[in-house]
Amino acid sequence: MSIIMKSVNDFLTRLSSKLKGGGDKAIEKQKKKGKNTARERVEDLLLDEGSFLEIDLFVEHSVKDFGMDRKELAGDGVITGYGEVHSRPVAVFAQDFTVAGGSLGRAHSKKIVKVMDGAADAGIPLIGINDSGGARIQEGVESLCGYGEIFYRNTKLSGVVPQLSVILGPCAGGAVYSPALTDFVFVVDKISNMFITGPQVIKTVLGEDITQEELGGAMTHVSITGNAHFYAKSETEAFNTLKKLLSFLPANSGETPPVRKSIPPDQPLGDDVIPDNRRQAYCVKEIIRGIVDASDFLEVHKNFAANMVVGFARLAGKPIGIVANQPRVLAGVLDVNASDKAARFIRFCDCFNIPLLTLVDTPGYLPGADQEHAGVIRHGAKILYAYSEATVPKMTVIMRKAYGGAYIAMCSRHLGATFVASWPCGEIAVMGPEGAANIIFRREIAAAENPEEFRQEMIREYEEKFANPYVAANKGYVDTIIRASMTRETLIKVLSRTGQSRKGHPHGNIPL
Amino acid sequence: MDKELDKLIIDDTEYLTEVPEHCRKPFEGPGDPSEIKAFIPGTIVEIKVSEGDSIEAGAILLLLDAMKMHNEICSSKDGLIGKIHVSVGDSVKKNQLLINLIIPG
Repeated sequence: MSIIMKSVNDFLTRLSSKLKGGGDKAIEKQKKKGKNTARERVEDLLLDEGSFLEIDLFVEHSVKDFGMDRKELAGDGVITGYGEVHSRPVAVFAQDFTVAGGSLGRAHSKKIVKVMDGAADAGIPLIGINDSGGARIQEGVESLCGYGEIFYRNTKLSGVVPQLSVILGPCAGGAVYSPALTDFVFVVDKISNMFITGPQVIKTVLGEDITQEELGGAMTHVSITGNAHFYAKSETEAFNTLKKLLSFLPANSGETPPVRKSIPPDQPLGDDVIPDNRRQAYCVKEIIRGIVDASDFLEVHKNFAANMVVGFARLAGKPIGIVANQPRVLAGVLDVNASDKAARFIRFCDCFNIPLLTLVDTPGYLPGADQEHAGVIRHGAKILYAYSEATVPKMTVIMRKAYGGAYIAMCSRHLGATFVASWPCGEIAVMGPEGAANIIFRREIAAAENPEEFRQEMIREYEEKFANPYVAANKGYVDTIIRASMTRETLIKVLSRTGQSRKGHPHGNIPL
Repeated sequence: MDKELDKLIIDDTEYLTEVPEHCRKPFEGPGDPSEIKAFIPGTIVEIKVSEGDSIEAGAILLLLDAMKMHNEICSSKDGLIGKIHVSVGDSVKKNQLLINLIIPG
């Protein structure tokens, strides 16, 4: 055999050993938990077939303490490299639980850091797949250094390239903060677990009993904490949603999102799509589906703060971000969680040149001590900040109620909306007619012969005078009044005039 | 969509809508100073008073081991120690009543 062929054979032997990760036994254990291996996740579930270019497979750790010098860890417990999703390049890392529990040591973190720097250089999205027992204890402070360097890069990359995290196993302690710094977090039922201090710690320190699922399972994080944005029943479903999300996003903040062919909605809106009675609820997602291309709406944070709906769709083929009050839940009020949810989404869209469409039907802020003490002033301010800061095209449609401070907050002309339309049943007022009449005519009502009759009369009078879009339109705060059925057509005209890009300064997407 | 809708009143208008469970909690005001409760779950490590003792505001009544700390549980008022409901070594839950204080006047 020639020397060259010998070296090739030697290489192939080394390669096949590295590609096995933690070996057959560990892989079997991984499978028993219903999990795919890191390599399957990257090559089969995420990337286009054959597109993966792996780097640093031959990296080894250099730890000598605690018998580590005798341990060979394939790829040091993480797979890193580049590939394509629907023919568009991405950078990826996937922690390999079969190798030392996916624990993060110095070499492991250096590999992640390298691929993060690669994503920044190339201006392409970064996808992180987390499945790790945490810090590699044997490496001490070197492991902590690794986390810190990753957090630093997550922050520097924020608003520059999209960063997506998929939690496919444990992600505990300091490790949770890398996903938390990224733009979107995906979790899978019975597989994902995130917490700062695990159930064990809670039991010994505080005497509380709680299951791992209750404390930091997938459903907990999409519904209670809001730490995760997308919930899936399986790993395959999570990756399919991730790929769909990527289809709305540009590769970096200097580009505009990819444009597709325009497809009309399945069920276009009629003029009478919402109930006559302002007290009656309806589902705003039905309205969204009646406006956007192919009635296709990718909802973000579906289970968290459901009184506010946010997500991605297309108008005439162009991606847009939608922020909408949901009258179906809590009458569509603004509250602490809805404010955080909307503000972060608005800022993400502004980072990546995604125009915003705001659909308004809100009676105001949620009253009560609970909200006031939870800091609704501080949290509510984030929506005002995010909308005022955003310089992508901002289109607003007032569907029905737009009352008081909530009217201002929901991308009013006063916060720099590019275009504001109202449907004929829009009500732009300081508050609802009942509350307003009770305050304005308090004395007259009390003095009236029949107070209730007089009160109703005054409510009707206020309704006629103020509960309409014409007062605001007279002042030019509303640009136009349109029938609901004309909404899509009108918004497409606006978009073709305004273009897509952010006009202001670039900024990061700080977790809110 | 066919779920029973709740009523939510904002500025005198009653809206028919869903009100999620976590929004229904009534407001819990500041506690009764005569009831000394555990502010955090943990274990009683030391009880520094006996029933009938006269104490001043700020006095340390007991030590509660939680979060790797011996937390001092103090009285916010002057008074007499009434019933003591726990013993050393007991595990207590959050908001569990530990000591009744008799506040004069």
